[in-house]
Amino acid sequence: MNEIRPPATPRNSTHRSPRLARLAPPLAVLGLVIAGWYGLAYSLDNNFASADGSALIIPPPHQLFVGLNAATVSRIASATWVSLGTAAVGLLLAILVGVLLGVAMSFSRSLESAFWPWLIAVQVTPVIVLTPIIVRVVGASFTARLIVTVLIAFFPIASNTLFGMRSVGRALHDVFTLAGASRWHRLIHLQLPAASPAIFAGLRVSAGLAVIGAVVGDFFFTRGTPGLGRLITFFFQDTRSGPMFVTALIAALIGLCFFVAVAALRRLLVSPWHRP
Amino acid sequence: MAVDTRIAAQLRDVHHRFGEAGVLQDVALTVRSGEIVAIVGPSGCGKTTLLRIVAGLLRPSGGEVARPDSGVGFVFQEPALLAWRRVDSNARLLARGEDAIVNHLLTVSGLLEHRHKWPHELSGGMKMRLSLVRSLAARPDLLLLDEPFGALDQITRHRLHDEFGALHESEGFSALLVTHSIDEAVYLADRVLVMSSAPGRIVGEFAVPFPRPRSDDLRYSSEFAALVGNIARSLYRYAGDA
Repeated sequence: MNEIRPPATPRNSTHRSPRLARLAPPLAVLGLVIAGWYGLAYSLDNNFASADGSALIIPPPHQLFVGLNAATVSRIASATWVSLGTAAVGLLLAILVGVLLGVAMSFSRSLESAFWPWLIAVQVTPVIVLTPIIVRVVGASFTARLIVTVLIAFFPIASNTLFGMRSVGRALHDVFTLAGASRWHRLIHLQLPAASPAIFAGLRVSAGLAVIGAVVGDFFFTRGTPGLGRLITFFFQDTRSGPMFVTALIAALIGLCFFVAVAALRRLLVSPWHRP
Repeated sequence: MAVDTRIAAQLRDVHHRFGEAGVLQDVALTVRSGEIVAIVGPSGCGKTTLLRIVAGLLRPSGGEVARPDSGVGFVFQEPALLAWRRVDSNARLLARGEDAIVNHLLTVSGLLEHRHKWPHELSGGMKMRLSLVRSLAARPDLLLLDEPFGALDQITRHRLHDEFGALHESEGFSALLVTHSIDEAVYLADRVLVMSSAPGRIVGEFAVPFPRPRSDDLRYSSEFAALVGNIARSLYRYAGDA
């Protein structure tokens, strides 16, 4: 696995300057983005003229929360809950399905050759277009949301599990063979730990995909509590730009949280021993 | 196949083919109990294949193989450690519940103070020591070694030779060592077998008369150089086009 890491900094460095130096470039970009945002908002909405919060095309950052009344906040909260739950449970299922498929394919070349082309087929299909079909078949339920999310997210985990399981060296296998290890023992104590760095690399991609699946798949759900995807189309149709931006920001934050959670888990389980 | 208690391993008429290519032909060898036998040969002559056959990792195309019922220890070219287990846990991977032995082996090989480290924190020599400790912790009657010191620098290699000799004195295992270094073979073994390539056959056998424990001074003696020279001449005669 090739990994791009930021340059290493001394571990016990408590000086602020190196950290500040590291944070400065992304913060500068953030500053530029906000400045651009203000510029765009100003040019489109003529000096932020509309004060009632409804007619702005793009609200400037300081007016994002103007149109947020209690009812809107509670709609956004319940949509957040729906999408967060879908993404989280969907990702867990994607991990389960991905690892199981990867392990199964690594055990049997014929299983691999039977499954692999179809996994590629699912992978190259924009799964969003399958959403209406899935909703037709299983109804506009939580199950349908999960299926969409898992279909979008499982592939990187499955392929990386397969790759990681196959990358175990012959000598390590021989050690376990000479010790008379069972297939199960070999899987638990050799292959899965050896594959875990690769699995985590896949998981990092899948975590982002799960959030995309949960939010974008939601566009097709016309019944039940809306998730962030459908809510954003409501706000769009009502030209309520402020709540629309807030909803988008929350979706981005969920994605960020997933990414950070996976990174933290990797730092806990893999980083101490793994040197790529 | 029943094994004479004075014999650790025995091969008769072993031959092996990969597809059309004959890799091993009419290989016969005996490792007596407590003896260290070294096999030298040009690279690609089938030394590793032979070792895998002795270990039971590979079934030969023909011939008879006798090995200890208790199983064999195998030290590979690379240390083959579990990167996700600390030194201590790697050392105990194959041990059969005898804590004292593992601790003793870790102490003798200077690994005890490093026992909480990860493998990636060890030097190449330390990794190889750990690999050796892991194999010996299972108390094998026969230890098979596939060029275990080949990747180390000379100082570390010579140090490990002496440590290996000391472990052999204290643990009393039998060993079959494959190496491409004649020097190493003579320094460590009681007998040196010379193998030819394509197909691999045992073409020479040399007894090593030097008493144990051996020390570095032996390497610079004329008797040592003479024996190494004799083996080298025998090896080059059969080395083929390598």
